[in-house]
Amino acid sequence: MKKYLSVFKISFAQEFAYRLSFVMWRVRNVMQIVLVFFLWDSVFSGTQKIIFGYDKAKIITYVFGLIIVRAFVLSARAQDVAGEIQRGEIVNLLLKPVSYFKYWITRDISSKALNLLFATCEWVILYLILKPEFFFQKDPVSLGGFFLLVALAMFIFFVLIFIVSAITFWMPEAGWGMQFLIIVVAVEFLSGGLFPLDILPSAIQKILYLTPFPYLIFFPLQAYLGKISGLLLIKGIIVSAFWALTLWLLMKTIWYRGLKVYNSPGK
Amino acid sequence: MKRLFYYLKIWWLMSKNSFMTWLAQKMLLLIFLTGKLMRFAFFAGFLYFIIKGAKSLAGYNAPQVIFFFLTFNLIDIITQFLFREVYRFRPLIVSGDFDLVLTKPYSSLFRSLMGGADLIDLITIPPLVFAVIYIGALLNPSWLQTILYLLLLVNGFLIATAFHIAVLSLAIITLEIDHLVMIYRDLTNLGRFPIDIYKEPLKGILTYLIPVGVMISVPAKALMGLISIQGIVVSFAIGILLILLSFKLWHFALTKYSSASS
Repeated sequence: MKKYLSVFKISFAQEFAYRLSFVMWRVRNVMQIVLVFFLWDSVFSGTQKIIFGYDKAKIITYVFGLIIVRAFVLSARAQDVAGEIQRGEIVNLLLKPVSYFKYWITRDISSKALNLLFATCEWVILYLILKPEFFFQKDPVSLGGFFLLVALAMFIFFVLIFIVSAITFWMPEAGWGMQFLIIVVAVEFLSGGLFPLDILPSAIQKILYLTPFPYLIFFPLQAYLGKISGLLLIKGIIVSAFWALTLWLLMKTIWYRGLKVYNSPGK
Repeated sequence: MKRLFYYLKIWWLMSKNSFMTWLAQKMLLLIFLTGKLMRFAFFAGFLYFIIKGAKSLAGYNAPQVIFFFLTFNLIDIITQFLFREVYRFRPLIVSGDFDLVLTKPYSSLFRSLMGGADLIDLITIPPLVFAVIYIGALLNPSWLQTILYLLLLVNGFLIATAFHIAVLSLAIITLEIDHLVMIYRDLTNLGRFPIDIYKEPLKGILTYLIPVGVMISVPAKALMGLISIQGIVVSFAIGILLILLSFKLWHFALTKYSSASS
């Protein structure tokens, strides 16, 4: 435990070593939220009060919720794993008396802690500047469901990154391309990271629910907004846990097969 | 004229090299092409369903909003196709290899800006142009509106060029480019929708200070016949002023180049 605490501290300090890089990443996040905020603000400036089942307060809450949930779920240092495999640097850690997965989970937690700190400040600043209508959830069951779903989403995203990164074992040149395709493009849109998924036709939504993506951002935010409750909430938590477990087992299988074919290029 | 052909020949040689690099890694080319097409399709899809549900956006109907989005993509993709080398400029400065560019018998700005066209963006340009023509025709523009659109589109490219030159110049002065160019892209992303959706002071900033509106919204509005003569004149004036200022900044930045590490 002590060694992972050291990893946490070092990783946290490392983020501050590249301060500009970190600040710019946060600025980019804010700009994306500003774009989506004004889009929805404009959509609700007409006479319609309810669109896609959302009133203005709930859709703006969704946009503001994105700041926090994205910081929780999508900020992850494990995205460097593909590069480590490609450059052969993974060997450095495999030879050390640490668990590779626990090492990256610790680094992810450190990244999330820092991002959450900044995201909270951004949330407050944007709230004061834009003065939006906001929906505060008071029901403890919905709040509990929200936090549980966020925890599961963090784990699903972590495992997803490792599965995508493992492709680098077989195709070293395709590692970062696959990250762009799955982690950047697919996750961004199919998780509800930009727009809520229930604006899509129900047929597309049904297909999306067969994938783990909606459980990353959309589903936790639906729980916060109280749009899913009771049995639906329990069902959602079970499906989310199912994805976490299935992807974990899949990742383990792929990872160990990858390590067998790995010949440590560049080292 | 002779000088123009000289530079065209150099551009073609550099672009050919860049294309061959991509063709040597066909799998990666396919993955990135798929990713770019997916991102475009997802965004266009979401936009379509939002407008369908909301009926209009800031007073614009669905084809109009889609046209703003397509105009943004046209300018964005063509500038990325032409100016991809900007994204590779930092290593030249940090390593001091920029010395080798300065000693060559061609413009160092030309080499830094257009030294390697992007094959992926080239592939996506023809279908995008087709989509712009198709959706544009649905808006029933007059000949004058179409010509104004094309001229203001050129003006938009001029502003995009000025931004890229400024980014290169600041890279020489500050050694920072990766984030600057991404911030530029995030700012232009705000032009995906008509700038009328933003409130003041952001709207004013996006129109005059960081003229994303002039770059993207104004050409689209010209095609719809929604822009005044004064608006057109001011847009061209901003375009010319920015390109002249960017050249000045580049020449100033060159005097600050220290050739470190070389």
